[in-house]
Amino acid sequence: MGTYVLKRIITIVPIFLIATLVTFGMINLSPVDPAEAYFATAHIQATDEMLEQKRHEFGLDQPLLIQYVNTLIKICQFDFGISYVTNKPVWEEITSRLPATIQLTIGSLLIAILVSVPLGFLAGIKKNSGMDHFSRFLSFIGASIPSFWLGYLFIFFFSVKLDLFPVEGTGTWKHLILPSVTLAFPLIALYTRLLRASVLENLQESYVLFARTRGFHEKMIMGKHVLRMAISPMITGLGMNIGNLLTGAIIVEAVFSWPGFGRYFIDAIFNRDVPVIQAYVLLAAGVFLISNLIVDLVQMYIDPRISRKGRQYQ
Amino acid sequence: MSNRKTKKPVLMMSVIILILSIALLGCSNDSVENEGTKGEDGNVITFAWPRDIGELNPHMYNPSQLFSTSMVYEPLVSYGDGGELKPHLAESWDISADGKEYLFHLRQDVKFSDGTSFNAEIVKKNFDAILNNVDLHSWLGFISKIAQTEVVDEHTFKLTLTEPYYPTIQELAVVRPVRFLGEAGFPEDGDTSKGVEKPVGTGPWVLKEYKVDEYAIFIRNENYWGEVPSVEQIKVKVVPDAETRVLAFEKGDLDLLYGEGVISIDSFNQLESTGSYETSISEPVATRQLVMNTNKEQLSDERVRQALHYGFNKEALVEGVTSGLEEKADYILPTNLSYTSEVAATKVDYDVEKAMQLLDEAGWKLPKGKTVREKDGKPLEIELMYNSAESIQKTMAETLQSEWAGLGVKLNIAGVELTTQVERFKANEFEMNFFSNYGAPYDPHSFVNVVATKGFGFNEAISAYPNKEEILNKIAQVTKTTDETERQQLYTEILGSLQEQGAIVPISYIKKIAIYQKDVADFTFPANRDEHPFTGISVKE
Repeated sequence: MGTYVLKRIITIVPIFLIATLVTFGMINLSPVDPAEAYFATAHIQATDEMLEQKRHEFGLDQPLLIQYVNTLIKICQFDFGISYVTNKPVWEEITSRLPATIQLTIGSLLIAILVSVPLGFLAGIKKNSGMDHFSRFLSFIGASIPSFWLGYLFIFFFSVKLDLFPVEGTGTWKHLILPSVTLAFPLIALYTRLLRASVLENLQESYVLFARTRGFHEKMIMGKHVLRMAISPMITGLGMNIGNLLTGAIIVEAVFSWPGFGRYFIDAIFNRDVPVIQAYVLLAAGVFLISNLIVDLVQMYIDPRISRKGRQYQ
Repeated sequence: MSNRKTKKPVLMMSVIILILSIALLGCSNDSVENEGTKGEDGNVITFAWPRDIGELNPHMYNPSQLFSTSMVYEPLVSYGDGGELKPHLAESWDISADGKEYLFHLRQDVKFSDGTSFNAEIVKKNFDAILNNVDLHSWLGFISKIAQTEVVDEHTFKLTLTEPYYPTIQELAVVRPVRFLGEAGFPEDGDTSKGVEKPVGTGPWVLKEYKVDEYAIFIRNENYWGEVPSVEQIKVKVVPDAETRVLAFEKGDLDLLYGEGVISIDSFNQLESTGSYETSISEPVATRQLVMNTNKEQLSDERVRQALHYGFNKEALVEGVTSGLEEKADYILPTNLSYTSEVAATKVDYDVEKAMQLLDEAGWKLPKGKTVREKDGKPLEIELMYNSAESIQKTMAETLQSEWAGLGVKLNIAGVELTTQVERFKANEFEMNFFSNYGAPYDPHSFVNVVATKGFGFNEAISAYPNKEEILNKIAQVTKTTDETERQQLYTEILGSLQEQGAIVPISYIKKIAIYQKDVADFTFPANRDEHPFTGISVKE
């Protein structure tokens, strides 16, 4: 298992390199000049001297290759540069906003798990029951409503009309509920269906039949065997979605005025704040890689057959 | 045994997640509770703004917001209604006969919010910090013409220019970069372009509390030299989404929404129709213009440009697209700016017959069985560029497309990002474009300056004007003349001639909106487009 983890960590390096290259390339393919964007944001008619000075300040007057190598060297030293717009270190800007985004991500992950596990499991073991129909209904809604719209609906009903939650901002646990639920909704839809399908599949397995013949209690078979086997694809899904949650938080953060880095990133795109865009993409890539790695390890722990299979090939 | 194994990771994960989230919640619990304004203190105005207020650096542009900068820092001269320039931190000023020397007599009773006094020394220090980055500020005409700054005595400051430039006094009213930071705000090396130590100003408001991307609380400056505000606190909430701002306002979390494009036109009309709120629309702050590039073959003929102007129902367009939030414009600059009220240009009224006739005269004939006019086998096809993020521009472009189709003109519309729009305009890579002037306190001189300067778009766009050189000469002259009558005469001719030849078509006058709760009183729009709207505002008991 140690070598496996090591191997996985080593593969991260080339992926990171590719991520930096792709981001750098994409930004430079855009016809928009960051210096021009800086003044457009400030609503100022920029003269050529002003643009020249800004380009020099941003280091954009150097050849592309040198710009790329410089960026790379700095990133290796955990220096993501200075934001063009705020004039502060990008790392500082991101770390100050990261806790809010993580808070939102964890909140929605928690809600997604707490709702979809019982719902998907019950829908699976009691196929075509009322619970199953309800879960199907919820899944269709969750999969088809765009999250910004759902956010507005939640604000309108639960905040403006019923006055149960604040409209926007942060501060108390009440502020966290609506954005988390909004962010969790599509996940609930996804995982409920995933778990239900997986439970149904496992019910066909011979171990269930054996357990029944051995006279085990139905509750025990379902709770301790079927659920354990069925939950595995869901954990993979969760891991893959932690990255999605972080990046998907962008819209929810805007709707609920949540002070996370997704919102900051949107502004950075419009302002062509290149160092911020780069740092964000790298961070997102990092989160995807690490969360996948963690999920693989958890999987191995839950279902030792995976690592045993791995060992066969070694 | 295997059962225990299943439970453990799931259970452990849940526990870890739970602990983490509680810890994180704990981290953010120190922020203040901000439920509405009625509960805590009646004398507070809660206001929403789409962006964070920034670091409140009076000498820099991003990310500081104009309105918040203007709450804390003050100018030597303030811009009043109709372009009246009033003494502010300067009690009075003398301008030498050659128009190069400005002597400012400063107010003597002014203190910064930290108690230090405002004097000629600190004025010079601010000017020197600004002049350190003279290139960055070169868009503001008088900055690059400053030859010398001088402390004459404690309350007299002298500014010497390299050449006469009449808009100097008017440009001193802008929100940045010529506002005054107190000594304690300067970093050690005096270079404010890297940031300020703390926001110390002379203004009526002082920043009390600030949380990036969340809120800022300003309290009134009790030692303010002018009239102390009646409202004790202004709370600015950062709400990036327009619909959320509307919902928060409806719930009563916000007292005031104000600005240009802060909420959609539909939302404004819907809130207004409930009758539960006060609404108000400002005087024109700028003109939305349509710029035609006379370098392009189809648009080089004045008759075609005029035909397009006659060929759409401007009043219906503006009313239909903006539901009365903007007003049909007859002149390329709003007439409430200085020197703009007597422009000699013909008012163009909707006249399809005349438009058709002009196009025929110009040689663009409609072939039988076709819908697009042609000349020498070429169809009359024009591209209009608009900012895709601005719904008003987009809807106007679509309306023009269908109106002009009736004349036999094919209009292609191209939505682009703001920066691309600016870049293409400057590079002369457009046929038609939307533009709007800067408004008070920048115009009319900034607008004519942009027209005259090469590389800003207009200079190249009006190339087919037979009297282009004459217009450019007059523009060069207008800022240098020290004679008021001559200046007015020049503006009348410049603006008249620019408009008369049809490359710049006035569409509508852009206005600001304000919507506020019924307990907010005495709201007025600032005459300066960039200033904060809180002067004189009060809350009913």
